[in-house]
Amino acid sequence: MTPSEIGIRRLLQVSSALVIAGLLLEIVSLVWFHPLSFVLFAFVAVSLIGLGILVYLLSLIFVVTPITNHRNSK
Amino acid sequence: MIGILICQIALSIVLAAVFLIRPSLTSAAGWKIVAFIGLSVLPALCIVGGLNTHVQRSEQTQFCISCHVMIPYGQSLYVDDPSHIPAQHFQNHRVPPDMACYSCHADYSIYGPLEDKMQGLKRIYMQYVSTPPNPITIPGGFKNAQCLHCHLGARSFEENPVHAAMIDSLKSNQTSCLTSGCHDTAHDVANLDHRKFWKPAQ
Repeated sequence: MTPSEIGIRRLLQVSSALVIAGLLLEIVSLVWFHPLSFVLFAFVAVSLIGLGILVYLLSLIFVVTPITNHRNSK
Repeated sequence: MIGILICQIALSIVLAAVFLIRPSLTSAAGWKIVAFIGLSVLPALCIVGGLNTHVQRSEQTQFCISCHVMIPYGQSLYVDDPSHIPAQHFQNHRVPPDMACYSCHADYSIYGPLEDKMQGLKRIYMQYVSTPPNPITIPGGFKNAQCLHCHLGARSFEENPVHAAMIDSLKSNQTSCLTSGCHDTAHDVANLDHRKFWKPAQ
């Protein structure tokens, strides 16, 4: 396991945790019939989910092995 | 619809939990696709579904009167007096009773529901952070377009000689349906204590 793999897995775990937290808050906002439920959804849940997606997409960038490494190995 | 959305959210949570516990699964090609769906596609769809559900919910009369300041406005829908425009519309089902507020106060443009939602957020800000206006007013005043959205083209409206004489003025908002002296009794929340209320049979 390379250090970059450890970093990617850590990023995946952070992403998953953020997405789960955001989705749980979204459920709370959906079952809570109150004017503030939209504020909870729009400003907290969406931010957490969006950040989770962003972290996941960043981890995809880390997965790509630089072309220079392939050339050097050959 | 909310049930389907909650099932979708639950599925997303389960998938995300799998990668929280076992991130090493993404080494396999098949799991990479599952991770892409579970950590980006499904959560994004949950955001869209949640936004849609919240916007639709805010069209309900019950939602509007869940704000303390709106309770008297909700009570005014039960005033037993046909000269009260909102009460007359609500009690005779000229507007859907479960969407009574939205029917007359919505912006019927393309982005109307989103703009209404932004107005709602401003009201929440004023309620909790700033100072709420007293009495409550509609920014820019009540526009005739909200009445004409339903009444324009209706036979009883167009055959009325008063309406027919000033139809252009009504369309251009030069003469207000409410404040020109014709239909000037709207919610009148200041005098609710002296009013008789209609009680539905059910």
